[in-house]
Amino acid sequence: MATKGSNSIHRSSSRPLLDLSKAEIQGNVEEKYPTILLPNQSDDLSHLALDIGGSLIKLVYFSRHEDQSTNDKRMKILKDKLGILNGNRRSYPILGGRLHFVKFETNKINECLEFIYSKKLHCGGWESHHSDSTNDQNAVIKATGGGAFKFADLFKERLGISLDKEDEMDCLVAGANFLLKAIRHEAYTHMEGQKEFIQIDPNDLFPYLLVNIGSGVSMIKVDGNGKFERVSGTNVGGGTYWGLGRLLTNCSSFDELLELSQKGDNRTTDMLVGDIYGTDYPKIGLSASTIASSFGKATLENKELEEYRPEDISLSLLRMISYNIGQISYLNALRFGLKRIFFGGFFIRGHAYTMDAISFAVHFWSKGTAQAMFLRHEGFLGALGAFMSYEKHGLDDLMVHQFVERFPMGAPYTGGKIHGPPLRNLNEKISWMEKFLQKGTEITAPVPMTPPGTTGLGGFEVPLSKGSTLRSDASALNVGVLHLIPTLEVFPLLVDPKMYEPNTVDLSDHSELEYWLTILSEHLPDLVDKAVASEGGTDDSKRRGDAFARAFSAHLARLMEEPAAYGKLGLANLLEMREECLREFQFVDAYRSIKQRENEASLAVLHDLLMELDSLDEETRLLTLIEGVLAANIFDWGSRACVDLYHKGTIIEIYRMSRNKMQRPWRVDDFDAFKERMLGSGDKKPLPHGRALLFVDNSGADIVLGMLPLARELLRRGTEVVLVGNSLPALNDVTAMELPDIVAEAAKHCDILRRAAESGGLLVDAMTNTLDGSKEKLPSVALMVVENGCGSPCIDFRQVSSELAAAAKDADLIILEGMGRSLHTNLYAQFKCDALKLAMVKNQRLAEKLVQGNIYDCVCKYEPAY
Amino acid sequence: MDPRRAETGKNSDQIQSGHVYHLALDIGGSLAKLVYFTKNDEHIVGSEKKKSPMKASGISNSSRNSPVLNGRLNFKKFETSKINDCLEFINSMKLHLGGCQQPESPGSQTITIKATGGGAYKYADLFKEKFRISLDKEDEMDCLVAGANFLLETIHQEAFTYMGNQKQFVWIDKNDLYPYLLVNIGSGVGMIKVEGDGKFERVSGTSIGGGTFWGLGKLLTKCKSFDELLDLSYRGNNRAVDMLVGDIYGGMDYSKIGLSSTTIASSFGRAISENKERDDYKPEDIARSLLRMISNNIGQISYLTALRFGLKRIFFGGFFIRRHPFTMDTLSVAVNFWSKGEAKAMFLQHEGFLGAVGAFMSSDKHGLKELLANQKVERPPSKLSFSLDQTQVPQQDGELNGDESIECSVYGA
Repeated sequence: MATKGSNSIHRSSSRPLLDLSKAEIQGNVEEKYPTILLPNQSDDLSHLALDIGGSLIKLVYFSRHEDQSTNDKRMKILKDKLGILNGNRRSYPILGGRLHFVKFETNKINECLEFIYSKKLHCGGWESHHSDSTNDQNAVIKATGGGAFKFADLFKERLGISLDKEDEMDCLVAGANFLLKAIRHEAYTHMEGQKEFIQIDPNDLFPYLLVNIGSGVSMIKVDGNGKFERVSGTNVGGGTYWGLGRLLTNCSSFDELLELSQKGDNRTTDMLVGDIYGTDYPKIGLSASTIASSFGKATLENKELEEYRPEDISLSLLRMISYNIGQISYLNALRFGLKRIFFGGFFIRGHAYTMDAISFAVHFWSKGTAQAMFLRHEGFLGALGAFMSYEKHGLDDLMVHQFVERFPMGAPYTGGKIHGPPLRNLNEKISWMEKFLQKGTEITAPVPMTPPGTTGLGGFEVPLSKGSTLRSDASALNVGVLHLIPTLEVFPLLVDPKMYEPNTVDLSDHSELEYWLTILSEHLPDLVDKAVASEGGTDDSKRRGDAFARAFSAHLARLMEEPAAYGKLGLANLLEMREECLREFQFVDAYRSIKQRENEASLAVLHDLLMELDSLDEETRLLTLIEGVLAANIFDWGSRACVDLYHKGTIIEIYRMSRNKMQRPWRVDDFDAFKERMLGSGDKKPLPHGRALLFVDNSGADIVLGMLPLARELLRRGTEVVLVGNSLPALNDVTAMELPDIVAEAAKHCDILRRAAESGGLLVDAMTNTLDGSKEKLPSVALMVVENGCGSPCIDFRQVSSELAAAAKDADLIILEGMGRSLHTNLYAQFKCDALKLAMVKNQRLAEKLVQGNIYDCVCKYEPAY
Repeated sequence: MDPRRAETGKNSDQIQSGHVYHLALDIGGSLAKLVYFTKNDEHIVGSEKKKSPMKASGISNSSRNSPVLNGRLNFKKFETSKINDCLEFINSMKLHLGGCQQPESPGSQTITIKATGGGAYKYADLFKEKFRISLDKEDEMDCLVAGANFLLETIHQEAFTYMGNQKQFVWIDKNDLYPYLLVNIGSGVGMIKVEGDGKFERVSGTSIGGGTFWGLGKLLTKCKSFDELLDLSYRGNNRAVDMLVGDIYGGMDYSKIGLSSTTIASSFGRAISENKERDDYKPEDIARSLLRMISNNIGQISYLTALRFGLKRIFFGGFFIRRHPFTMDTLSVAVNFWSKGEAKAMFLQHEGFLGAVGAFMSSDKHGLKELLANQKVERPPSKLSFSLDQTQVPQQDGELNGDESIECSVYGA
């Protein structure tokens, strides 16, 4: 273990191993953000907190993102243009990073110690590599839970850290407050087997009742941060379930007991209303299956304990206790006028039936006026609270939009389940994936959950004993890694950010989910080929490709079984997950070569296209430009149909064919309204837009022959143009990194583009003059590039880069292009400025569903500012 | 003391079949309760003596006639699982003949007696088959409330508090009785908001009740009867199985939230120890822990419910209590704890018989009228009411859970 000798070996590595996915996310979105490191802070910043309970140890730790300052000239000019002053830019008191959640069994505390050691979490901060051993000895780690006392000496001895004990209830409340305020869709309801995520307005959170079900049950009225009171509780809690369960059955673990309940039938042990009356007792609204007396049946029979099935006993116990807790909680909420009740604690463990029973009780006793809510991170409340108790973490004021939750392979396992030694690098992870494959179905065919609708009728009806096994910690398992990206902001042009929902397609519909999961599965082999080819087809890349395929298939299978496994699921999340999964296996840019080839081919014909456009009158030109955008949008490697097309012709042939097919009216055709806004009618010439944000989609023809000419037209009309590209690659989408080169190349063919690009700082080499400001050039509106903060083909306007948010401040037109950004997401989004949504629908089902049309139909949706 | 106090006592031996005139049954999930009337031999019907001072009968004094009948109300119970014993008893005492019009030809005709409780439905056929008794089912809750209202209004020392081994009778002004919360702890627990005669609503309840205590107790100990289990619990110590606040916080109070170290943090929370089996725990301790768990829980939910509806009094009844001191004490402590001393749990002397008394009251007193007719009362009353003339003499504490009787009078109206 941790002797001083081995310590030094670990310290010699260039930086601590922080996370499974750390190494492979080079050039990751968050790592490009200029995080501002307060000079004296880094050593103080604490990064690990523990909650050592009787059965589980919960760890929350923070790994900082690489500190990279992007101070190139382009950025400097961009910042000037967008009015972002380097120093004055909102100085983020915190560093970007990731919040990890890991569990260990308390009786395997050695694994926990090793984990902490291997990740150097005990070394008093992320900058551990330059701290010396004396510092290690002084490290103080916040801890809560009974074990914080019990194991204090062990931690001191083995890791040289002192545990600073925090009050349990303080931690619990602090953890819950943090989660409810900072994590989107943290809370959910669970009725009759159905999860529904609830977004709670952080300004309307308090007061609430927090019911923590541990061995006993505490009910805490929370009025604000640090303002809470334990108002009630009950001694009938998880300890009662487990204690009585142990005495009554021969179960050797809590989980075993819980699992038994799934196969139980409580009618053999409980006295039901029907047992007493032989029928319903309608006068007081009790049905024959209502439990009149828990375990009352046992009084009527002369049976020995051994003659009862342990399954039935377990179920009866579970219902008795869950139901009771629900009832007492509701009565207390009522008493104190609290409208929300959140349940947490180890008793629940994401166990569907327990949640249903509690929900039922609350629903029943409140006659439907109150709802039980649960927290996705419920097992980690205490640990998070302990983490929050560090004085200088700076996390107090974090907002929902600054967190992105990701589920790297292993996260579903490290985040929820206790696993063996930590995976140190990609190679270990791949081996681990391979091992899983050998173990057969374990990962690709998750344990079936009880089908929706059968677990419930909450506490009264008997669950079907279908599932042979129970995923008792179903939701606890699905805690991902929280990426803290302090620079993310809410897009300022959203009309109503609170009501905004990015996803157009609701995947809670099972057939819809099945359809998209199938689409993604079918697309997988092609994607793996591309990914492997992008890395030169080496053996290593093949191995990684296989691992990626397995990992992503496992995610899909998991979601098929339990759509809410990773929280609220939308198509955008699904598409992003695929990209994340690729990055996880170090496929930085699977479509790199394809994108390059297509860009080159398109740039070659750009000149001709521009000449052609310039020969047209203004009105025809505008139409042709929009047609061009729609036609060029056909180049989409995310669309199966389009991939097939590619095999039949060259990019230019397809583009021309596609453009010739553009017959108005399009399926959604607001072109006339858009034209009116742009060109006016009659003699009235409207003022041009001041600044337009163009959200671009694919590489190749799409950007070069579609969007760039449109941008050029806007520039020509005196509108400043900001091209908004992805921060990270996704399919063949053009990224913000690639855009300057494409623009520079295009500028060779076009003076308008060149001058605008210079003005916007995109042509750095040719720009020395502009930088000095010594020589006044022809005034030109600027063409700029910003990144959107995403690594997905879709965009969630609740979380965009600060650059984009800054650029949006003066924008009065936004153009969203492509299926991902204008159909899958944001079709119904409303903006405070004029918005044009352009896309070719390259999916038959989507065409039918969204526009009652067919594949290759076009959408040109124009909405004036709301 | 009032010279006309009732003589209550175990008197089943004295019952003569010929004296039994009226019977009602309450057949619950665990126990069957009987209430029946026996005429006092020594009393002359229509006698003017012993004019009742009883202020609290349901009928105004002005219109009050002299008692038309004096006798005893008798209370008896059986375990429902031994329903045959009950049937035998009824048979042997010829109770069911009391209302028979032709007692000289027993069995020749079906007679009807009032019954309530779930068992009134369940065992209806059995009664019919064996003794040609047709059970006239009265609604359980109606009976419960009627019984409680009757007892609280008419019996002077019906209600009492019980804390720390101190039993204290509470005098309740019958004009200030309502509304109150009636918590009936049978197999399950019903909580009823009572606002007056016949005005009530079941507002809450819990499935963790007497049946849970006895059911779990039976499975966990080798007890053969509910009473045995109760006896066990009296001798036990719940510390062996319950997790106390002190167990968690190292013997210290968690004073920050006002919990003393002896507060139960988790019932049975200590029974999770890996190296102990069920047999390693004393049945006494288990019984004690169970009793505390259930009493505590009922006390808590009752208090919260009373609070919710603004009810100032909570009466606990039902067979679970059996006036067992420890049970009452835990319930009282729970109510006291959760109400921070604001509320007090109250109990009823006849708690186990509320339903049966209610059923008894609901009847048309048919048998009694027959009796009166036979006794040649000059003016057969159209309506009869009962009054318990005498204040109750409390028995030895906690021993009124078996068979007993109360002297009473029947008045005509």
